[in-house]
Amino acid sequence: MSDIDIKRISYLAKLKLPSEKETFYANSLKDIIKWVDNLKEIDTSDVKPLHNVTESTESIRKDEIKKDNSVDDVLNNAPERANNFFKVPKVVE
Amino acid sequence: MKQSISQIKKSLTDKKIGVAELYSEYANKAKANLNNSYNYVIDDDENKLFIEQSQQRYTSGDNLPLDGIPLGIKDLFCTKGIKTSASSKILSNFIPQYESFVTKELLNSGSIFIGKNNCDEFAMGSSNETSHFGPVINPWRSKTSPDDDLVPGGSSGGSAAAVAEGSCVASMGTDTGGSIRQPASLCGIVGLKPTFGSCSRWGIVAFASSLDQAGPLANCVEDAGHILNAINKHDFNDTTSSNHKREDYVSEIHEKMEGKIKIGIPSDYLIDVNQDILNQIENTKKVLSKHEIEFVDVKFTTTDFALSTYYIIAPAEASSNLARYDGIRFGVREDGESLDDIYLNSRTQGFGDEVTRRILIGTYVLSAGYYDAYYRQAQKVRRLIKDDFQRVFNEVDFILTPTTPNEAFKIGDKLDPISMYKNDIYTVPTSLAGLPGISIPSGLSSNGLPLGIQLIGNYFKEKQLLQLAALAEKELAFNE
Repeated sequence: MSDIDIKRISYLAKLKLPSEKETFYANSLKDIIKWVDNLKEIDTSDVKPLHNVTESTESIRKDEIKKDNSVDDVLNNAPERANNFFKVPKVVE
Repeated sequence: MKQSISQIKKSLTDKKIGVAELYSEYANKAKANLNNSYNYVIDDDENKLFIEQSQQRYTSGDNLPLDGIPLGIKDLFCTKGIKTSASSKILSNFIPQYESFVTKELLNSGSIFIGKNNCDEFAMGSSNETSHFGPVINPWRSKTSPDDDLVPGGSSGGSAAAVAEGSCVASMGTDTGGSIRQPASLCGIVGLKPTFGSCSRWGIVAFASSLDQAGPLANCVEDAGHILNAINKHDFNDTTSSNHKREDYVSEIHEKMEGKIKIGIPSDYLIDVNQDILNQIENTKKVLSKHEIEFVDVKFTTTDFALSTYYIIAPAEASSNLARYDGIRFGVREDGESLDDIYLNSRTQGFGDEVTRRILIGTYVLSAGYYDAYYRQAQKVRRLIKDDFQRVFNEVDFILTPTTPNEAFKIGDKLDPISMYKNDIYTVPTSLAGLPGISIPSGLSSNGLPLGIQLIGNYFKEKQLLQLAALAEKELAFNE
């Protein structure tokens, strides 16, 4: 197993690990990946991946508009809002 | 002995007790346990209307299946207008504007919610120690060191402790790799994980969507059946909600089971198991053999790979599901100069250690260059695990295993994540296969702590599984 690039992984996960915790998570991740590595012993060349365990056809419903949520109710949970919008720092200069 | 739902309903029907009086009895205990088994206890005022309506139905003689029954709800179910935190800092201010499918059905059945049960953060944990609001203390104490505070198990630790301490009649939990069955076992109560797809996931804070399943924690098997009757329904809002025919899981629960029953005991589950745990299996075998139930040894070939498969698939799904927490639309925002800084700060400060660890594992196994070796390989092995169970179910009707490899342990004792993950060794394979499993209390360890056995059925065989569990419960007489 190659070394784990913890900076790259945390960047992909949109996490900014404090430098003192980087080693802690890197070691932990390494231990766990080593522990799950036994799956490589199994020959699965003829096996199809399993996504949906009961393998039922996923049910499809009509795409109808249902007014279950009001805009105000939804926006009440927003950390910052302006009128009917979520408010964030300026993105486009 | 605690009263069952049927007994309580009879007292309410016979006017020996009123709904308000019953509610206060449980709510007062819950209030005393706030910040332990509960994150939030609902104000009496907010429940006043529900209590009055329920009492009216009893007075008019036309009550609902769970009328007036006080329930605890894991803080993972969205409850309209009631704080839902998933025991995480990042959701600590979240008030859902809608009701989850399962809790809506419970309300439609007349039950009254006492509060929101503490759990592991985002249901990631086996001891309830990862909760942002602090651990839950198991109401049980060991004979040998009675001063130790023990874990209730997890992740539905608060839901299990609440039932065991009597601050609700039953509670709702969720089970991804054992989160209902394991705490039920460590707290000496019943916990049922239904077949994947039985109960809608709509409105449950998502952890691993191909594994998450809602289910009851209760004092007895019959109570679990009552709750299952209320929540086991098809839901158009969950694309994995099954269309199978639902049954009445209670009316015939105490009747003799049809035909000759064969139960498999997986010998590979019992290697290196301590005597206390082995005794549970031996004793169950002994008491059930009187009922013309045959026991056979079965052997799985995939057991050694189940935990590895789970600890790839569950974190992978979690890392995707938890991408939605960004501090923009709901939840706690940590300020930053740019949009990206808000994302980074909100997520980094909002998630605890275990959740961060699982997001990192999940991101790693899904990242370019590792996807095939880990995630895809795990999905393939998952099929082998499922096939392994189906092979065994060609020979037997049910499978009997311990629920956990050990009794409740001391808070703070298991610091290493892998040793914590191993606590779910008996429950994870069932979850990966999507099969229904129930844990019932079977006896006490030499330290006087409760231990449970797990009974596993084939897909959608909850009715028969509950019948068998009710018989085992009667014969094991744990509650007497």
